[in-house]
Amino acid sequence: MAYSEKVIDHYNNPRNVGQLDKAASEVGTGLVGAPECGDVMRLQIRVNPETQIIEEAKFKTFGCGSAIASSSLATEWVKGKTVEEALEIKNTEIVKELALPPVKIHCSVLAEDAIRAAIGDWKKKNGVAEAAEAAAAH
Amino acid sequence: MAPFKIVQASDTAVPVKCWSCAVAQNESTLFCSTCSKVQPPLRMDYFQVFQLPRILRLDVDVLEKEFYRLSRKLHPDRYARATESEREWSLADTALVNDAYRTLQDPIRRTEYLLKLEGESIGEEHSGKVSNSRASRVPSDLLEEVFELNMQLDELREGDASLRSDVEAAGQKFEAMLDELDSKLEAEWARWDEGDATARSTAQKQMVALLDRRRYLDNLLRDVKKVLGA
Repeated sequence: MAYSEKVIDHYNNPRNVGQLDKAASEVGTGLVGAPECGDVMRLQIRVNPETQIIEEAKFKTFGCGSAIASSSLATEWVKGKTVEEALEIKNTEIVKELALPPVKIHCSVLAEDAIRAAIGDWKKKNGVAEAAEAAAAH
Repeated sequence: MAPFKIVQASDTAVPVKCWSCAVAQNESTLFCSTCSKVQPPLRMDYFQVFQLPRILRLDVDVLEKEFYRLSRKLHPDRYARATESEREWSLADTALVNDAYRTLQDPIRRTEYLLKLEGESIGEEHSGKVSNSRASRVPSDLLEEVFELNMQLDELREGDASLRSDVEAAGQKFEAMLDELDSKLEAEWARWDEGDATARSTAQKQMVALLDRRRYLDNLLRDVKKVLGA
């Protein structure tokens, strides 16, 4: 199976690899795994408490090229968005952008999960109303 | 060995007549039960190839002997003077027997294969189709440890030899977890082989969950061995 050019680009030049201070109150951390292939993905966001805009995003993924590309793309997309806007990102958009084949769709699901987990962690830390979280859930 | 329970595969229930002697065969078979002629490859699952019920605890020695016996019976030398159709079928049957043996002789592949036959999606085939059940399948208690060990492996690869003993210790820990998991899996095999429909359904779900967890451990241990062996 051949990877698309975009996947290869993200794989060779992953954006925003690294980590943020997990203990910081403005940082949300999402750690998720794909039972399909044993991949693990950590995605972190730093949110401006005034504007609720995600100013920084970092990831570290142990997994296949598609999982790395999906999380790399996810960090690019969440940056500059508000928390609520970032929750709108759907795995299907990642699939489309990266032209992922059906067997790699779960990689994009993992990236979407990672965004949600990171935002969920940030909300928990900052006591953001449960109602907003419930409304944003699937 | 557990008492056999025959599971009838619905798509092979239609009786097929032998092309040569026209005697109807009760089940899918490589050779006619009456005239022993090789049969065209039909829709046969790997258990049917070896005329086995869908059971998980197989005697691999018996399986191996049967594999060699079938392979000899299908050997091209035996078909040198046969019709062209028979030559083709014997080759196709040989490929089927090889695939079936490779899958069934390995207990994990055998389990995955059986679960697929029973309608479960295994491995990358989940494809995020079942988003509701997905979260429950992720072994979250493992994630932190898995991630941490992966980080250490990365640093070790980059030459930080001081982490070697840490990684070795973690490797042993995960190895022990794998052993524990495998004994749980063996208990589910027994439950599947001996149980009624309810027990089987429970065992099926348990096995899917255990295999998910196993995949994590397996991938991780493979990486650990690669890095430590390098």
